[in-house]
Amino acid sequence: MDPYLASVLTNMTLIAFLAISAYLVLVVGEVSFGQQAFFGIGAYLTASVTVLADGHVIWALLTAVVGGAAGTLVLGLLTIRLSGLYFAISTLCFAELLRFSLLQTRFTQIIDGRKLGPDGPEGFSNIRWIFDNHFDATDFLLLSVTCLTVLLLLLFGLARSRLMLQARMVGNDPILAQSQGLNPTHYRLGFITLSGAVAGFGGGLFALFNTHIEPAMFGVMLGVHALTYSIIGGLGSPIGPLIGVVLDIGLLESIRQLAAYRMIVFGGLVALFLVFRPEGILSHRLVARLKRRWGRRHV
Amino acid sequence: MNTLQTSLDGLMIGSTYALIGIGFALVFGIMRRINLAFGACLLFGASLAIYLEPWLGWGVWGLFLVTMVGAALASAYVERLCFAPHTKRTQSMTAMIASFAIWMQLDEISSQMLPQRTHAYDGLEMPTFWLGEIYVRGDQLLHFCIALISILLLYVLLYKTRLGLLIRATADNPETAYLLGVRVPWLGFIIFLLAGILGGVGAFMILSADGYVTPMFGMWSTFKGLLAMILGGLGSLPGAVIGGLILGIVETHAGASLGAEYRDMVTFGLVFLVLIIRPGGLMGVKIYRTESLAQERI
Amino acid sequence: MFSMQGICKSFGGIEVLSDISLTLQSGDRIGITGANGVGKSTLINIATGFLAPDHGWIQLNDLMLTNCPAWEFARAGIRRTFQSSRFLQTATLGEQLFLAGHAPEYRNRLADLLDHSNLQSSLHLFPDEISLPLLRKAEVVRGLVTQPEILILDEPSAGLTADELHQFGTFLNQQLGRKTALVVVEHRLDFMAIVTDTVVEMKLNQGLQVRAD
Repeated sequence: MDPYLASVLTNMTLIAFLAISAYLVLVVGEVSFGQQAFFGIGAYLTASVTVLADGHVIWALLTAVVGGAAGTLVLGLLTIRLSGLYFAISTLCFAELLRFSLLQTRFTQIIDGRKLGPDGPEGFSNIRWIFDNHFDATDFLLLSVTCLTVLLLLLFGLARSRLMLQARMVGNDPILAQSQGLNPTHYRLGFITLSGAVAGFGGGLFALFNTHIEPAMFGVMLGVHALTYSIIGGLGSPIGPLIGVVLDIGLLESIRQLAAYRMIVFGGLVALFLVFRPEGILSHRLVARLKRRWGRRHV
Repeated sequence: MNTLQTSLDGLMIGSTYALIGIGFALVFGIMRRINLAFGACLLFGASLAIYLEPWLGWGVWGLFLVTMVGAALASAYVERLCFAPHTKRTQSMTAMIASFAIWMQLDEISSQMLPQRTHAYDGLEMPTFWLGEIYVRGDQLLHFCIALISILLLYVLLYKTRLGLLIRATADNPETAYLLGVRVPWLGFIIFLLAGILGGVGAFMILSADGYVTPMFGMWSTFKGLLAMILGGLGSLPGAVIGGLILGIVETHAGASLGAEYRDMVTFGLVFLVLIIRPGGLMGVKIYRTESLAQERI
Repeated sequence: MFSMQGICKSFGGIEVLSDISLTLQSGDRIGITGANGVGKSTLINIATGFLAPDHGWIQLNDLMLTNCPAWEFARAGIRRTFQSSRFLQTATLGEQLFLAGHAPEYRNRLADLLDHSNLQSSLHLFPDEISLPLLRKAEVVRGLVTQPEILILDEPSAGLTADELHQFGTFLNQQLGRKTALVVVEHRLDFMAIVTDTVVEMKLNQGLQVRAD
């Protein structure tokens, strides 16, 4: 496969992790502007484990998952009394605080005559895992897509379970949820932590793919883009966020001449879209109706 | 004496934050909405001002005027596209996300008008002078006075005119206001226009004091305004003023003692703490939880 | 079994409830009526944990529920309906009822309730595609499937015609079971007559002592 195409598709796949992370928070009825920080933490952790500790990539990615989850759990616990706009702004502050911490992190070591490690604003370079393991663009695309598919399968399983419907109830109508004996805090914390795990994993893959990461890559804009993909794609299915990603990045690549105007077009489209279909493309109702028609065909 | 100097500088900067914070507080206080595109509207106004400068040739006051008008127009555009279609109480998030999309759009439009990383934004040539051991910049002092006058004018508008009464009544209870014949959607348009004007004044002050504008100004001013509003208490206009001033002072002190890197960290940290410990901000605004049962008949 | 004593509640200086007490035994059927604004909604909210009283206490069997969050009340066995028949609009009725009755010990009860309620044909629909009388029944089904200690109905007659109301009342009587206590907050006395044994009237700022004897 053309390496450029492979890298575009890989980019889409990795951003999809972030978009799904935002989606998981949206399920419990909250908006997070901060998922990019956990993406970044995952990236730095994976880079550290593979480069500084010479660890196996499995450990590296596992560390990213745990790190991302831990980060969001801390955030969730601190903001336990907040909701709506207050919660959203607090995620923004928390994410920027984490990013500033990354900017101050300097932990370089001399390995094989080279200075490696996180170096403040310069970032973390020479994440050579894909070179050392002979992964070319197509190989890594395969790896990323496989991971994403596994995640999606897990989420589909979750979506069919009671847990998801209960979480949706908590997100949509907390009063109703409480009247049914559901403790909203449990669901909030659970899904928020899960979202951090997903973001962390995506960030880990991102570090390996990009071979160079720096704090500037994990700013607010990245996170809000991911959030927008989730909202446009629709919350009716875990595939929704993926649709949002494909739409935007696909749009970017296909109208390359208009690349400069991409945000003007995309921004306007999103706002208009929300006027006419605020629930996103794959809304719950649409998904249910599709399932109904699919069920009838197989009866 | 250094502390006094820093505090004074902080006060000057804080007054500009106060104006931007008022822009947010007006919208949140009356419509329970956050306009994430606000900073981008200000950037648009400033970019338009610089873009049109060669044709208009009105100098610094031209920049002032066009920035203000441009910001107000952009703000009105955002209101029509992102907020007017989503007026129900449950749609505040949708409106906010839509405003984020237009933030990106306006940022891009501004970049088209100002393709370089920095552009000069002329300020007023004013003398600087000494007040005892304190060094005061004449232009910043003028800006502070303009800010004061703007806030005073706003006060007069809100508390001494009929329009102001309508605004405050709607802020208090939108449903009743609607039933009593107040055209709430039309009111939203006016509010956004007002916010744009005030924000434009603030933007002019910041940019002319700095002497330049960069593409980051949109995000930067959005953060500053939001943080000022949260410090003071979401939706409270006096809170936004106080929050802005405090933000300016705290920030300047942090910058002076810890360095520019840590300055922003302190700001975000402070706001985060406020949100966790006292979400109502300094003015102790009551948090209207959407599940608040006293408000909702269930 | 269930007891609320000395409940007082004020909002911003206005005292809405002063010294309300309510005692229920298994199988009691009580109606509470009163003019608008007299505090009926507040009473329900406090009895189900959505509001905390300023004074007084609430006890169910040996559980002290005062100041507990609403979900603990629900878990303990106090269920309620809402004036506007609250359902998730993005899930089908069937999904929501099966969610409520998912535990194996409730399966039979759910099947039983569904059989007698005429809801089978509506299970694949979304709540806004279902008529109000059916929705009210669905709410009762959802409330009863967990075999609660108490079921509280909040103005169930709103939006129903006299015939529909009568039908609803009959359905309720049949499905209630002997152990569940029922509290109906309502102003339609004809409906109250069908489903309750005792009716008490709430008056503004007057204490209320309710003990079904």
